[in-house]
Amino acid sequence: MSDDSGLWLLLAGPAGATALYWALYRFYRNTDKSHAFERETSIDAKPVTGSDAKVGNITGTQATRIQGDNVGAYRARVQRVASEAGRDVDDGAPGG
Amino acid sequence: MSDTKLPPPLPVRPVDGPGSPRDVPPLPGTLPVDPATLPGPIRDELEAPDPLAIDTSAGELKDGLNRCPKCGATDIRQRAGTDILVCMYCRNEWHGERVEEAFGFGEGIADLRGTVIASGARDIEADAASLMTFKCAGCGAEVTVNTESTMTARCHWCRHVFGVNEQIANGAVPDAVLPFYIRKDDAVARIRQFVDKRRMFALKAFKDEFTPENVVGVYLPYMIVDGSASASVAGKGEIKTRQYTRGTNNNKKTYYDADVYQIERHVEFTVDDLPLESSTERGNLDVNVNTNNIINTILPFDTKNAVKWNASYLSGFTSEKRNSNVQQLQPRLEDQLLSIARAQVDGSTRRYDRGVRWEQEQLDVHGTRWASMYLPVWLYSYHQPGKNGGLLHYIAVNGRTGETMGSVPVQQWKLLLAALTVGTFLEGIAIMILVGMS
Ligand SMILES: [Zn+2]
Ligand SMILES: [Zn+2]
Repeated sequence: MSDDSGLWLLLAGPAGATALYWALYRFYRNTDKSHAFERETSIDAKPVTGSDAKVGNITGTQATRIQGDNVGAYRARVQRVASEAGRDVDDGAPGG
Repeated sequence: MSDTKLPPPLPVRPVDGPGSPRDVPPLPGTLPVDPATLPGPIRDELEAPDPLAIDTSAGELKDGLNRCPKCGATDIRQRAGTDILVCMYCRNEWHGERVEEAFGFGEGIADLRGTVIASGARDIEADAASLMTFKCAGCGAEVTVNTESTMTARCHWCRHVFGVNEQIANGAVPDAVLPFYIRKDDAVARIRQFVDKRRMFALKAFKDEFTPENVVGVYLPYMIVDGSASASVAGKGEIKTRQYTRGTNNNKKTYYDADVYQIERHVEFTVDDLPLESSTERGNLDVNVNTNNIINTILPFDTKNAVKWNASYLSGFTSEKRNSNVQQLQPRLEDQLLSIARAQVDGSTRRYDRGVRWEQEQLDVHGTRWASMYLPVWLYSYHQPGKNGGLLHYIAVNGRTGETMGSVPVQQWKLLLAALTVGTFLEGIAIMILVGMS
């Protein structure tokens, strides 16, 4: 982003206008609101189990995050694989 | 002045992208921009207080309600603003039996196997007649009730109040009802406060016609689901090992090295009283065509206090009917269970400071228990004209907790003008910096 001319500064106006437009629009219309069932439902969970195996390394990337980071996007569905009970489940869920 | 034009002139967001109900909603009171950086009047609006909601775990809502245990009369009123029911015939007052205890809801969720369906949550028969005839217990006259539009009626002859109280096989009658607790004048005040906070850019016609006294008390149909499930997720995570810059003074770039891990997580959990809209229309949260997400947002309710179905609770209110069955709601339930599982395992991925990309997920629903319930909502609606029939905006107040959420139509040109003004100001600063640099 840091080319020496600094012309990217000219984006400040359009970017600021767009950000403010959407912030106010959402404040009035609340299109981003829904029931936060993830944190507002009474959930009783057993301790999380799992595994972590190193499979490789990356050198010299400029990306600050992993590509396709979705750790906080709980509602973004990913490929659904058959459940342990052996039932076939289609990858038909919305999102992705 | 094209104030009623929809959609807004900026790119429309996808239904399930960021900023839609498909995204995890922001924490209450959070805003994507810092109000301190905005002009005074806008800042004042943004920072005005919101209507307070009662915590659903609060003591005021601990007690449930039930029907008159003394004489069995049907004309039962709620003592306004309290949880106490008063029998209009014998003046008996009481707190009643909650379905939670009566039906054992909330117990043994972890041991649930298969799909347990309460009688009121059974499939609705397609040919279920919506006209039902009742014999009045007061005077013996026969009165017909159209259950399509109402679940209560008053005998034309003796004014005896009766309703659809039997658990009929077609699933048209719910198992339980959660009576209104927030009074109408309270709801009106909350709606007024909500809108007062959003006047500057509100559509002029909306402000002119704003009459919160027209709010309507509606019982909306929900399925309340208990469930036991386990879920697994698998994907890649990255941990930063090195960070360095390369390049000449004017062209420095930051690079990262990272270790890549294959991660798997598994969690077993139960959910207690997850509410799902059981009206197809209400369950459609597409923000481009409706504002049902507003009603969805005022969930949850203190459903533990719901009482056995009795149509007497509906007098003075309107009600909507359920039209989706357990089978149709199963995908929504599974979707929400997967989201809950993802939220549960989030905490175990903190060491991956460059984030995690989940690639596969797996859900095993061990058992579910479904009950059909009417939940109380105060609804203020405003129809904004426009193409495709316009848009119906709701301001909804949770009839138990007072949680208030709404959609206020915006005066597009005013909002654009404000955004452009601020944008122009920022641009001026940018140009000044650039001129100073050269
Ligand atoms: Zn009585
Ligand atoms: Zn009668």
